[in-house]
Amino acid sequence: MLVQLLVSGIAVGSVYALVALGMTILYRSTTVVNFCHGEFFMLGAFGVVVAQQLLGWSYGVSIVFALVLLLAVGVLTERVLIRPLRNAPFVTLAMMTVALSYLLKGVSRFFYGREVVPLPPLLAGEPIELGGAVLFAQDALIVGFTAVVVAGFFVFFQRTQLGKVIQAASQAPRGASLVGINVPLLRNAMWGVGAVMGAAAGILIAPNTLVYPDMGGHMLIRAFAAMCLGGFGSFPGAVLGGVTLGVLENLVGGFVSSALVEITAYLVIVAVLVLRPQGILGEGRSVRA
Amino acid sequence: MRELTSSPALPRVARNLAAPSRERALRRTALAATLVVLCVLPFFVNDYVQFVINTMIVYCLVAVGFNVVIGYLGQLAFVSAGFFGVGAYATGLSMAHLGLPFPLAAVIGTLAGGLVGGLVGLPALRVRGHYLAIISLAVGEILRWVYVHAEAVTFGAGGFTLPDVRLGGQLLGDKGKYYVFLAAAVAAIAATSLLLRSRFGRAFVAVRNNEPAAASLGIRVKRVKVIAFAWSGLVIGLAGALYAALNGRVSPDSFGLAQVLLHFAIVMIGGLGSLLGSVLGAVLLTGAPELLRNFPGLEEIVFSLMLIGVLFFMPKGLGGLVARTVPLARERLFRSNGDA
Repeated sequence: MLVQLLVSGIAVGSVYALVALGMTILYRSTTVVNFCHGEFFMLGAFGVVVAQQLLGWSYGVSIVFALVLLLAVGVLTERVLIRPLRNAPFVTLAMMTVALSYLLKGVSRFFYGREVVPLPPLLAGEPIELGGAVLFAQDALIVGFTAVVVAGFFVFFQRTQLGKVIQAASQAPRGASLVGINVPLLRNAMWGVGAVMGAAAGILIAPNTLVYPDMGGHMLIRAFAAMCLGGFGSFPGAVLGGVTLGVLENLVGGFVSSALVEITAYLVIVAVLVLRPQGILGEGRSVRA
Repeated sequence: MRELTSSPALPRVARNLAAPSRERALRRTALAATLVVLCVLPFFVNDYVQFVINTMIVYCLVAVGFNVVIGYLGQLAFVSAGFFGVGAYATGLSMAHLGLPFPLAAVIGTLAGGLVGGLVGLPALRVRGHYLAIISLAVGEILRWVYVHAEAVTFGAGGFTLPDVRLGGQLLGDKGKYYVFLAAAVAAIAATSLLLRSRFGRAFVAVRNNEPAAASLGIRVKRVKVIAFAWSGLVIGLAGALYAALNGRVSPDSFGLAQVLLHFAIVMIGGLGSLLGSVLGAVLLTGAPELLRNFPGLEEIVFSLMLIGVLFFMPKGLGGLVARTVPLARERLFRSNGDA
């Protein structure tokens, strides 16, 4: 029982971690808190649905299509909506992302209405037995993919020149542009990367949930909860927070009450922000306005 | 606080205080004429239009209350749907369980909204910026969860139907409700306007523009924030009470994320820090869905495009636009950052 809860918790938590990681990249490199990340997540899943069921493409090609689509959406968002407001206060930028989230949801609802679209699992096959727990192939794929992405991330940011350039550009944009780093270009790229990561998470989870226009809202809140829990703006924090939240939700559902699962994330947000605003791995610095 | 109004930091406020008496008289005349038009309106519309107008009044109140927090106090707190729900549930439940008459229940709903507003204001003292936005979204959803799961009290996910809405023994139809709503809304908006022009309202704006500077001028920032949240809760709680009476039904679905977004769009498109704008925004955004209702998603697309347009080209929203073209409509406590 406990092992099973832990295993499925880690699987769900991996998705949270992916979404939270995408948001953290954006936050770190542009200081924008992206309220439309949930819609990037939703669009990723819809991209696959459209390519597969309307255009009749294979699963693999559809996924590539969805990822490229979201890369374009992310890059365009930065160029068209965010860059003109780069000197605006944070509230304006946050509002712009809220407006965009509204727009993307409206567009998908315009075409799909109240429809709920199922997607077949990417990895079919026998569930894996793991010390008394059952792990579905799709879940294993999710966990594996997240682990690879996370590992890739740390190597990229800690070991490569480009990773360090990006870190420099986010920590000191003025200084970075003084030494010849093209900060706007990097920010543009980071929007693209963030959107792709959101989409990847959406594509991975879609077979387990279902695809519908409002699927992003819940994920956004969970990603926020993961970020708050782990430490807002910290990469390891986003991963740790995501997995912890997933496990916590499953434990609460298994041992306390299944009705509590849906608000675990909300309770975590309130508790963390009131008691320890910097989160588990956050720096001691208090919240910034 | 007297020093604040005469301080060089806010010269516009001081100048606007001394509006010439002719302008004031004109403004009063315009206001009175509007009220007269509003009073005779029900004689010229059918039941459906009347219902839509009643809905507009409810959302005017929501927008005015929400504007106090996000426009005047400048805190990005998505609390409106929470207060709205508390007002509606407190009103509906005290009618359904306790058999209270509607006016008394509405008072309870309003006060409940104010109480929750004050309570939600407390975390806002510690938490700022996007953290506040996130925590307020969470609080709203937790409240909604309570509506769904506290079935013994709230009747669960399906919601419940209100007993007849009566005033002085008489059953209120849509036209009857209109006059009650109108009176309540005029009173609440007038009171909000007075509050905003008092030292508290000026303190809200001072806190928004520069918290440390406001504190250094002797403004008790914490108290001011709690007052603003509580007032916002009162006004939106009243809106919730009217909303319950309007539909005769209360259910958890009415107070979710979609509502927050609608309220937010109303206030933004109407104009942050403009009461007139909030009213215009509510009328526009409550009326538009009636025209778009056969096209799922189109409402969201239109609203979001309007929002984006406002953010790019019209940071003061409809209220600012009207104030620029009709000087009479200028509000005294206008946004003070940048031009006015």
